[in-house]
This record gives sequence, structure tokens and C-alpha cells, in this order.
Amino acid sequence: MSEKKQILESACRDFEEDLVLYYYGEGAEVERQRIGTHIVNCSRCRRFLDDLARVLPQVVQPEPLPQSFWDNYYRETVEKIAARRERVSWWRNFLAPLRAWFIPAFATAAVAVLAVALLFGKGGWNGQAARSRATLPQEILADADQLEFFNSMDVLESLPVLEVLDGAQPETGANRNG
Amino acid sequence: MDNRRPQELRDEELVALCQQGQSEYFNVLVHRHMEKAFRVAFDFSRNTEEAKDLSQEAFLRAFSRIKQFDGRSKFYTWFYRLVVNLCLDYARRKGRVRWQSLDGIVEENPERAELADSSSAPDEQAIAGEAKRRAESTLKSMPDKQRTAFLLRNHQGLSISDIARVMKTTEATVRVYLHRAVAALRQSLVEFV
Repeated sequence: MSEKKQILESACRDFEEDLVLYYYGEGAEVERQRIGTHIVNCSRCRRFLDDLARVLPQVVQPEPLPQSFWDNYYRETVEKIAARRERVSWWRNFLAPLRAWFIPAFATAAVAVLAVALLFGKGGWNGQAARSRATLPQEILADADQLEFFNSMDVLESLPVLEVLDGAQPETGANRNG
Repeated sequence: MDNRRPQELRDEELVALCQQGQSEYFNVLVHRHMEKAFRVAFDFSRNTEEAKDLSQEAFLRAFSRIKQFDGRSKFYTWFYRLVVNLCLDYARRKGRVRWQSLDGIVEENPERAELADSSSAPDEQAIAGEAKRRAESTLKSMPDKQRTAFLLRNHQGLSISDIARVMKTTEATVRVYLHRAVAALRQSLVEFV
């Protein structure tokens, strides 16, 4: 078995994809003639095609189902479609008298809700932010102030300024060189 | 409408009638395409009940969306696309397809199994069974698109151009998918035949 696996060789590189189509009867007549001529003289491609003819019928479909199965299938499907049709027409009948005023009314209501949300929503949000800050403990607020201080400075760029604040002389290029 | 019976109308004529509100003509489309729809769904689900549910759901979707069919493609490629998409969603939802073994199908049809038993020697049956299992395993392990292209060509007999329309890709891509699928099956099955 494994021996047979080892000797399995591919068809000619330029033909293998076309051979699959040839097997399935695809392709223009000119193309099919070109492949037909090739396989007469090419044992590799001929073997590839033979393999397909032996292998692919193994990938079979299930056995045919009895007519009663299809009768039931058809009846069930038609019933489901009828139920769907019924449901759709029920909704259509229900919504038909509403349709004239429903859409404008809904749009007006949506605009009104949006306006109210914009009017009161913004103030409420700011007030809530202020209230939440007021309830924070003092330690956290102090730390937050320090954070803001550091954020306002570009620490890496302003090292000399930090050193001045710390009481030390800023190191100049001359000092560094001695 | 002319004097032809509904069964004699082309798909596109039936669709046009449905679009005009005569939805009872959809039943003719169901009758015409139910077997193929079921077969496609079965190829993906390998389970009779699930294949029935999937293909019937495809008909319901087609019925609901019939007004969206614009006639740019044939009805059956449009419909096949619905079936295939439902099947691919199903396969993703399940994580992997639980393939019903062929032995299981035989068990459901004991009379057929007896007929099969009488036609071949036990060792031949064993080899054939192993080949089928190997084929299923190879199909199962293929990427979805390769498997779809292969099943639509090998089992449903769709042309490369129709498969390209169903899969919304190019014919060149379908040829590549088909070639890879066939090469994989040849590799795994050739030792049995």
C-alpha cells in the first residue's frame, strides 16, 4: 500500500489542472483536443487521468431516496412556505392602516427624543463629572495635581529645569568636559 | 400568461410571476430544485434530517427574498448560493461537520444493505468501505472553498462558470480549488483502487 503511495507521481505541471477539467468534460473543444493529443504521448498524464477515473467515482453520493421521502419533503416545504406567506400577509394587513401616519409619527417622536437628550444630556454629564470629582479623597486629588504638573512638562526634554528646581546647578557642556 | 402548464415554464418566468404576487408558482420551483438542494445540503451536513432542514430553510429564504432576484444570474445559481451559504454557516456553527458514516445510512436501509452484501465478496466490501471512509475524511479535512467547489462539480454537476457564480469568485479560482481537491483525493484514495 505504502509502496504504491511512493510511486504516485503527478502529471505534467502545465497539464495537471487542465486534466481535471478534461475529466469533467469542461473546456473549449480546441483545448480538449490539445490535451487529447498530449495524453496520447505522455504516460504520466495518462496515468493521472486513469487515477481520476478510478478514484473519483469512489467519492459517491448517498443511495437514492425513496419517492415517499420526496413527497413528504415537498409537502412539508410547501406548508412551511404557506405559513410564511400567511405570516407576512397578516403583518401587512395589520400594518396597512397604520402605514399612512406611522412613519411620520415615529420620525417626529425620534427627533423629539434626540432634542431632549441633547438639551439635558450635556449639562447632566458635566454636573456628574464635577460631582464625582468633589467626592474624591484629598490624597488622590493631591496626587492628581502632581500628575498634572508632570504632564505639563516634557520631562526628558527639560532635565536641566528639573535640576534647578531640585537646587543643583545644571550641568553644562563645559563642566562635563572638565 | 400563455397556455403552458406551470411545470413547463422556465425558472425565470416562474420567478417573474412570484415577483408579481402570484407566489403559488414558487411551489413549482420547490418541486424542480428540491432534490438538488437536498443533495447539496447533505454533502455538507452528512445527515438526512439536517440536510432537510437546511435545504428547506434555503427555500424559505429564497421565497422571502424573491423580489431581490434581479435576473442578472440564473435562478438556480442564485438559489444554490443561498443553499451553499446556509451550509457553510451551518458548518462554521457546528465547528466541524459531524459526518454521518455511510455505514449509518446502510443501517437505515437494511434491504439495500442485503443487496449490497450479495453483490461483492467480504474483502472487497471492506476495501470499498475503507475507501469511502478515507474519501469522507479527506473531504472533511479540506478547506471549505475547495470542498464546495468539488462537491458542486463532482456531485451536482455544475459547470465551472456556474460554480464561480455560486461562490462569487472567478473561474480561474474555481479551477484551482477543484484541482487541489481532486489532487488531495487522488493522493488519499489511489491506493484503494
